[in-house]
Amino acid sequence: MLSVSPREERADALVSRREYVRVEGLGKSFGPHRALDDINFAVRSGEVVAIIGPSGSGKSTLLRCLNQLETQSEGSVTLAGITIDAAKPATRQQLTELRRSAGMVFQSFNLFPHMSVLRNVSLPQERVLGRSRKEADERSRALLSRVGLEAKADQYPNRCSGGQQQRIAIARALALDPKIMLFDEPTSALDPELGLEVLAVMQELAEAGMTMIVVTHEMHFAETVSDRIIIMADGRIIEEGPSAEVMRRPTTERAQRFLNAVKNR
Amino acid sequence: MTLDAVLLIASGIPLTLAVTAGAFALGAVLGIPLCALRVSRSSTLHLAAVAIIMLLRSIPPIVWLFLLYFGIGSGFLRVGPVEASVAALGLITAANMAEIYRGALRGVHSGQWEASTALGMKPWARFRDVLAPQICRMALPSSVTFFIGLLKDSAIASTIGVGEIAFQANYISRRTFEGLEVFAVAGLVYILISLPIAAMSRQLDSRLRERVAQ
Repeated sequence: MLSVSPREERADALVSRREYVRVEGLGKSFGPHRALDDINFAVRSGEVVAIIGPSGSGKSTLLRCLNQLETQSEGSVTLAGITIDAAKPATRQQLTELRRSAGMVFQSFNLFPHMSVLRNVSLPQERVLGRSRKEADERSRALLSRVGLEAKADQYPNRCSGGQQQRIAIARALALDPKIMLFDEPTSALDPELGLEVLAVMQELAEAGMTMIVVTHEMHFAETVSDRIIIMADGRIIEEGPSAEVMRRPTTERAQRFLNAVKNR
Repeated sequence: MTLDAVLLIASGIPLTLAVTAGAFALGAVLGIPLCALRVSRSSTLHLAAVAIIMLLRSIPPIVWLFLLYFGIGSGFLRVGPVEASVAALGLITAANMAEIYRGALRGVHSGQWEASTALGMKPWARFRDVLAPQICRMALPSSVTFFIGLLKDSAIASTIGVGEIAFQANYISRRTFEGLEVFAVAGLVYILISLPIAAMSRQLDSRLRERVAQ
């Protein structure tokens, strides 16, 4: 019973690794509504962090601040060496670099419906990294086979199931060689079976050493795949720590209430 | 009614098509910046666009035509009847196309812009590669409907002497007093032009729908 799981072993090795993300004093208001309040945390290279919590707790907003799809009202975000502070607006070059370093996967997939699956994965490589069409297509096919969808390359996205579309979206993000992957409820729009095939791809990515931040309602994934869990409620971080510990022995009353609600169903 | 009369009416087809196509092209291009202003976050630009679109749409085409041809055209600037017709109908088309583009823009899922932003694509690439093709696809049915409407509205160009279908029909009917037959033939010619355009559009639309419908 005292055997050390590979994940815990990995967690020990993480201490010496480089910090990829640092969030300091982050706050976000939408008019009078306070979506995020004084968020602080850091993510090291190779670490997998799951962000869980009730709906409307600010999880997605936090993730969207990391790649500046939302601009924060206060505080700073540092991602892959680029710091963006609320005090001064980010330059276009900063934003480009930031987004190149962070791949993002959305709840609604957001594949481009007017392009074939292959073009979906290749076009951003050509436009953002300046790869040639041939180079990009080669890389795309390799990634599509990594997510098990080589055969779908010439189809259009609407001919693919939701699970397949999400795996294509993951391949599209990976094609830009990101340093970190951000997942915004990647399985919430999928039925449980299709969700599993997406989770399997994400687990494979985690095992391959990708740095990941995953906003999710999948408690099993959070507990078994992530190294660390952050629980959010009402725009604040209410609990943070190694996954097993947070899941089994949450310290705050609010976190206990949330975990009880999601586990006892 | 003689064959000569029918041929004379048919001789108006090129000018009808030229005025329609010219006005549509002008409007389709001018509609883009107008739509951009219309959806602008700056309230000054937004209100300016709303005012321009309202002004263009609430004045009847024939009044615009006379305004341009007899108003501006007979003053310091020489404007021929064809140019005046293209300009007048083109301006009205611009206002309508701006609204058609705006509707299409709203039909494109907001996630498309977000995904291309998150991928690090530059604004121009986002527009050209992601938004524009989807807007065009969405705007196709309404644009064709408007084009066919414009084809018929181009008949007002006859009032300033553009020798298109309605002008020729009017000319013959005055000479022969055969109003019914002559204008029936003119009507038939309009139908014969509209039908293939509508059919082509339907076919193109269903082909695109089959491929990329979400």
